[in-house]
Amino acid sequence: MVLVSAVRDYINRMLQDISGMKVLILDSHTVSVVSVGYSQSELLQKEVFLVELVDSVSKSKESMSHLKAVYFLRPTSENIQHLRRQLASPRFGEYHLFFSNILKDTQIHNLADSDEQEVVQQIQEFYADFVAIDPYHFTLNMPSNHIYMLPAVVDTSNLPHFCDRVVDGIASIFLSLKRRPIIRYQRTSDIAKRIAQETARLMYQKESGLFDFRRMEVSPLLLVIDRRDDPVVPLLNQWTYQAMVHELIGIQDNKVDLRNIGKLPKDQQEVVLSSEQDAFFKANMYENFGDIGMNIKRLVDEFQQISKSNQSIQTIEDMAKFVDKYPEYRKMHGNVSKHVTLVTEMSKIVEERKLMLVSQTEQELACNGGQVAAFEAVTNLLNNESISDIDRLRLVMLYALRYEKESPVQLMQLFNKLASRSAKYKPGFVLKQAGVDKRTGDLFGNRDLLNIARNMARGLKGVENVYTQHQPLLFQTMESISKGRLRDVDYPYVGNHFQQGRPQEVVIFIVGGTTYEESRSVALQNASNSGIRFILGGSVVLNSKRFLKDLEEGQRMARSSTAVV
Amino acid sequence: MATRNRTVVYRRHRDAVKSVRAPLFSSASGSGGPVIEMASLLGSNRSSYAPLSTEDPGPSRDAFTVGLPPSWVDDSEQVAANIQRARAKMAELVKAHAKALMPSFEDGKEDQHLIEALTQEITDILRRSEKRLQKLSASGSAEDSNIRKNVQRSLATDLQNLSVDLRRKQSTYLKRLQQQKEGPDGVDLEMNLNGNKSRLEDDEFSDVGFNEQQTVKIKKGQQEREREINQVVQSVNELAQIMKDLSVLVIDQGTIVDRIDYNIQTVAVSVDEGLKQLQKAERTQKKGGMVRCATVLVIMCFVMLVLLILKEILF
Repeated sequence: MVLVSAVRDYINRMLQDISGMKVLILDSHTVSVVSVGYSQSELLQKEVFLVELVDSVSKSKESMSHLKAVYFLRPTSENIQHLRRQLASPRFGEYHLFFSNILKDTQIHNLADSDEQEVVQQIQEFYADFVAIDPYHFTLNMPSNHIYMLPAVVDTSNLPHFCDRVVDGIASIFLSLKRRPIIRYQRTSDIAKRIAQETARLMYQKESGLFDFRRMEVSPLLLVIDRRDDPVVPLLNQWTYQAMVHELIGIQDNKVDLRNIGKLPKDQQEVVLSSEQDAFFKANMYENFGDIGMNIKRLVDEFQQISKSNQSIQTIEDMAKFVDKYPEYRKMHGNVSKHVTLVTEMSKIVEERKLMLVSQTEQELACNGGQVAAFEAVTNLLNNESISDIDRLRLVMLYALRYEKESPVQLMQLFNKLASRSAKYKPGFVLKQAGVDKRTGDLFGNRDLLNIARNMARGLKGVENVYTQHQPLLFQTMESISKGRLRDVDYPYVGNHFQQGRPQEVVIFIVGGTTYEESRSVALQNASNSGIRFILGGSVVLNSKRFLKDLEEGQRMARSSTAVV
Repeated sequence: MATRNRTVVYRRHRDAVKSVRAPLFSSASGSGGPVIEMASLLGSNRSSYAPLSTEDPGPSRDAFTVGLPPSWVDDSEQVAANIQRARAKMAELVKAHAKALMPSFEDGKEDQHLIEALTQEITDILRRSEKRLQKLSASGSAEDSNIRKNVQRSLATDLQNLSVDLRRKQSTYLKRLQQQKEGPDGVDLEMNLNGNKSRLEDDEFSDVGFNEQQTVKIKKGQQEREREINQVVQSVNELAQIMKDLSVLVIDQGTIVDRIDYNIQTVAVSVDEGLKQLQKAERTQKKGGMVRCATVLVIMCFVMLVLLILKEILF
């Protein structure tokens, strides 16, 4: 709840002291921030009767001076330019400016210069600079995510921009929580180190006054890690509801766009999947596909019963009851249709791409041993005509990540076989980025004896569900933090920070993006009442398509730069 | 959650800049200054008057007019005021219901009248407000229409909540009334709703325990109750109609239509569409034969006129 309620509080505070009819003006990032936490009907209750984007306000010439304008923007130079133009020829009666992050003094001066008509009533910084998609999961929706893969020598212009945006996002999280953390980062990742150090500089030096909150006995922990430490999670196919919808169809800001999937009625073409507003989704978002099917069937049966009773209206009492319950009935109808549509479409995709078959091999590659069996399985699937190219690529990459060192010959064979099918895909890049030498964590549980033993025990015990046996590396990291045993060698502190014992609040930021499987892990960990609250965030939310695209982009940029050099 | 107010810094700088700018426009700003002060005051008070314009102070400053809000705002304010009135009346109605349900020695006729009157009034207010809401007409620019649509939606939600509330209160009253009726009379209400006949027949045959007078009184009491119930049922029907009409305007919560980003997208799309349609219309109109015809006719008129004048002069 904590992230969503922070955003809602900020928006409520923005709107509550301004009376009369208002217009809310957002930019393309703050639209996402506001939309996941606040609904249109709630805005209407607060008398906000128009919502516009800041770049389209300039285009209209109408003067609406009976409206008060509330701006909520990120403090970027483009937004400041737009604002300056609009302040010079104001369309609204009053202007109240709110920025989602720290303003530079020059920006304030520029705005003051343009405000000749003195229409600005207040300028405030309200630090809601992140998209709170779930209670313990946020994202920054960054556009060029692949930049994190490039070393600093290659790309000197975009990297600082990327780091600045991440640092701003992390800072706004802690400002909205009113805490100042101890910072640790993953040793093997340069970009994680850089981000951690810049965040520390911001919080403890540049704006130390702003971050000077009341100190609790135990400071919270910020852990900055790199996506490439666990490249397996984004490549796997998912079988729990929220993760599966994102993997097969795609969720953006809690909205699912079904327009490209098939012919659907108009009101089902775009749907909302939000755990705050949909009780059925909240109860089922982490359940696996089989259980969801049963629960949806139960939901449909309930609904059918209600609608049958609605049809037999005989006395006036029945009619009165029907009219009473009609709004709820309509809402339930919409909800049931939405879930049935989603599950139907996903079943179709699973059928087409033979994902049950593929996923079984994927899970074995990710979890169990047996190199020979794995090689055979992957080869069979590569030969299978009905497997799509993208699934083949994922299988080869997973094999490469797992058995990189064990038999290079067979690995080359697989690469060649893949290349013969589709020359477009070059899986080698993933090893360059996330090979075993580059990783810190024990991804496959085969580095030290304890983990190997644990793995064997698990194999002997057998698993409940072959398709969901994979645990992301994040789970182990969280366990280590809970026990206070996160190794300093692997995850050093920034500067002279130090923490004795366990923290009570932990924010884990994954540079390069998070996945819904990991946010599920975090939510289940939080629900287990271990006394520690974890919050997860990343630059984007990945699925396999997105991760592969990032790899591709990264590879292209790396190659073009080496060509230049 | 942390916030930081930068208004002080901003104002300081703005005043500094103004004092730097002021000497350059010394003559014009003399009148421009106080006018701008007034304009910002008036901006916050909507019931203000005529637009005012400054004398031309300089090339960079446009005339800042304080305009009247458009006329439909008055309608929407009326509806909002009606909703407030309806709420107050509902509170009164609740009290009247409670009083009527209390056992009393009187006939309770005034209570019934009061309840009827109140219910009728509230239903009237709701119906009138709903009609006025529908009428918030579709004239004005594209942006204005968005604001108007949103105002409509918000008022429609309020109205619908009110009617649902009223319905619920009425049904509880009805239920309690039923219970009360079953208590002293021991007669099932269903039979009353379906017909008078059976009841009358029963009464005729019941000679034990009731004499003439009491029977008449009981009959009267039952008839009155029946009338009340019929009225309640009638208002239920009216409200159902109102709710049906309103449900078109109200947003379903939790659906895609309730998302802010979806609404911004559709606005952009519809504005673009509108522009395209306008351009197409303009083009067809220009190309149209009508324009050509009209031009030809006008030219012919002139020619005829000239000929006529020539004819007069020469002959």
